[in-house]
Amino acid sequence: MGKMNKPGQKSIFIIAEHNENKVKPVLFELASCAYKIKKYCPAEIKVILLGNETEKLSSEITHVTGLDVVATEINELALFNPEIYKKVIEDLAAEFLPSFIIAGHTPRGLDVASGLAVRMKAACITGIESLGETEGKICFRRQIFYGKIDAHVTADSEPLIITVQPGAFEPFKPENAATGKVETRRVNYVPFFTHEKGIRRSIFQDSSISEAKVIVSAGNGIGEKENLDLVNRFAAVFPGSAVGGSRIIVDRGWLEYRQQIGLTGAQVAPELYIACGISGASQHLAGMRGSGFVVAINKDPKAAIFNESDVCVVEDINKFIPAFLEEYKKKEI
Amino acid sequence: MKILVCVKQVPEPENAFIIDDSKEWIRPGTFSYRMNRFDESALEEALSIKDRYKAVGIDVISVGSENSKDVIRRAIGMGADAGIYIFHDPVGYVSPFLTASFIASYIKENNYDLIFAGAISEDSLQGQVGPLAAEMAGLPCVSFVVKQEISSDQKSMYVERELDGGLVEFFELALPALLTIQGGINKPRYPSLSNVLRASRAEIRTINSDLYTKSVPGQKNKQLTIPEKKREGYVLSGSVHEKAAELIRILSQKSFIA
Ligand SMILES: Cc1cc2nc3c(=O)[nH]c(=O)nc-3n(C[C@H](O)[C@H](O)[C@H](O)COP(=O)(O)OP(=O)(O)OC[C@H]3O[C@@H](n4cnc5c(N)ncnc54)[C@H](O)[C@@H]3O)c2cc1C
Ligand SMILES: Nc1ncnc2c1ncn2[C@@H]1O[C@H](COP(=O)(O)O)[C@@H](O)[C@H]1O
Repeated sequence: MGKMNKPGQKSIFIIAEHNENKVKPVLFELASCAYKIKKYCPAEIKVILLGNETEKLSSEITHVTGLDVVATEINELALFNPEIYKKVIEDLAAEFLPSFIIAGHTPRGLDVASGLAVRMKAACITGIESLGETEGKICFRRQIFYGKIDAHVTADSEPLIITVQPGAFEPFKPENAATGKVETRRVNYVPFFTHEKGIRRSIFQDSSISEAKVIVSAGNGIGEKENLDLVNRFAAVFPGSAVGGSRIIVDRGWLEYRQQIGLTGAQVAPELYIACGISGASQHLAGMRGSGFVVAINKDPKAAIFNESDVCVVEDINKFIPAFLEEYKKKEI
Repeated sequence: MKILVCVKQVPEPENAFIIDDSKEWIRPGTFSYRMNRFDESALEEALSIKDRYKAVGIDVISVGSENSKDVIRRAIGMGADAGIYIFHDPVGYVSPFLTASFIASYIKENNYDLIFAGAISEDSLQGQVGPLAAEMAGLPCVSFVVKQEISSDQKSMYVERELDGGLVEFFELALPALLTIQGGINKPRYPSLSNVLRASRAEIRTINSDLYTKSVPGQKNKQLTIPEKKREGYVLSGSVHEKAAELIRILSQKSFIA
């Protein structure tokens, strides 16, 4: 972390994303992360907001979090443009010299983070899930190798750019935060190469799966589409159950999008969640971590899903489910 | 039109990954590998452009140890025209900055209209190599692209990219540009027999990374650990039928089944 300066001299940038005139909720998680960093490295937190109508957004941010906002009004920018974001944040960084720049581990966050890192000759650590201190240095934890290993990553230089896995930090929403300052600037920037053309809601979230008491989810480990039949029969054992799946299964068209569980699918919290042949990637966990009781069936005893399970079944899914159904039948008679 | 696709070989999730003595990386092992799924989608997207327009050349590039050539051959088997292999095989962790700097150096020396990378590699989940290489090579970049269309004059393109929360965002980009491709957006084709034969004979252009200036990595692994257990993690034992009976007992006790 270099040498620690006096409090107040350093700053931490948080990059806000927004859509449909609303701040994206991941911002509040980034704020929690910034506060954790602040414990080790005293600094002023500034929320960086860009857009062509920032007033309402600034006010929402500062009222909810109590943090200071530096808003930049840019006529040419409606929602997001990687070229404008990189340029404007680079200029703000030259002025405020932030020690940390924090963005979401999201498509937009990733567009900006790596680009800025090159421009600012900064280190960049993406997809972090928690942080701590070892030997006087802040270490960021991120998953590697399908969640089977945690890497604790440090950087020797400042500034450091990080992207934070959505869902990893509790949202920061203090009870009665004093309202922070909003500083609004105006710049013009006509992008050369990249022109934003708009946004559309591609998928309408269907909440029916969120209401199920039990969710049985199929992952890549089921192997063949035909084996979904087994998963369906397995789910039928549980009253009030629904079948879900990992993104891979949905991308293949084996299940419908509304059945996808995870970061880019449904976030569910059933009383019982059964993961069948799912490795436990953080993007999947983000959708089911709140479940009451978790059972995982996976043939790999080291699969990451087992770290998030109450009961671990190390078996081939296509042998286990038939055995389960047979045993269940015996019991019924 | 010339397209470059970045492909990475990743170990399959079922492999056992064991932390080495330095605690900074894993022990080298005899892993089973496959092409990063996002890169399969990226290659398929490039191949679909080639299917539509004539006079499209597709090269693939991979950085890593000798066996990265396997993934290059697989890509040629799927229909890529030629492969470039950048040899870079140090012991331990390789920062995305290094990988990206080699790819960027190659891009700067060779003219491509379009460069595709995967949005993320499945083993390291960084999402960095594409955007880093774009910035280093001075190219515009959009990540997590789910749909693309090249303009008729082939000087610009329209792209749609996925945002979290079920939103899609659109851009128009000047070419040359680099796009990172979201996985699962298409159905990557299987290698064809004729292409597999061609791939097995294909000369893969090999470049030693020592020829390129190395960027400073910036970050390093202080330590690797085995993830903590977040829940009880009671492991069932016995035969498959015994495990099934035990699970039924546990779930009945909790009233999940009658
Ligand atoms: C931006 C982004 C967003 C994403 N959003 C989501 C999301 O919303 N939801 C989601 O699920 N993923 C999402 N992903 C993808 C995620 O990273 C993983 O790739 C995905 O969750 C893996 O699915 P899986 O576990 O089914 O497959 P794999 O990772 O391939 O795992 C298969 C597992 O099955 C086991 N297995 C294999 N054969 C058998 C057998 N016969 N019996 C038992 N077990 C077996 C293996 O040991 C392995 O653990 C996202 C990724 C990105 C980059
Ligand atoms: N060693 C490599 N060789 C070629 N391409 C790579 C390599 N590493 C990463 N990439 C590309 O960059 C993408 C993102 O990787 P990562 O930044 O590791 O998540 C991958 O999908 C590949 O397209």
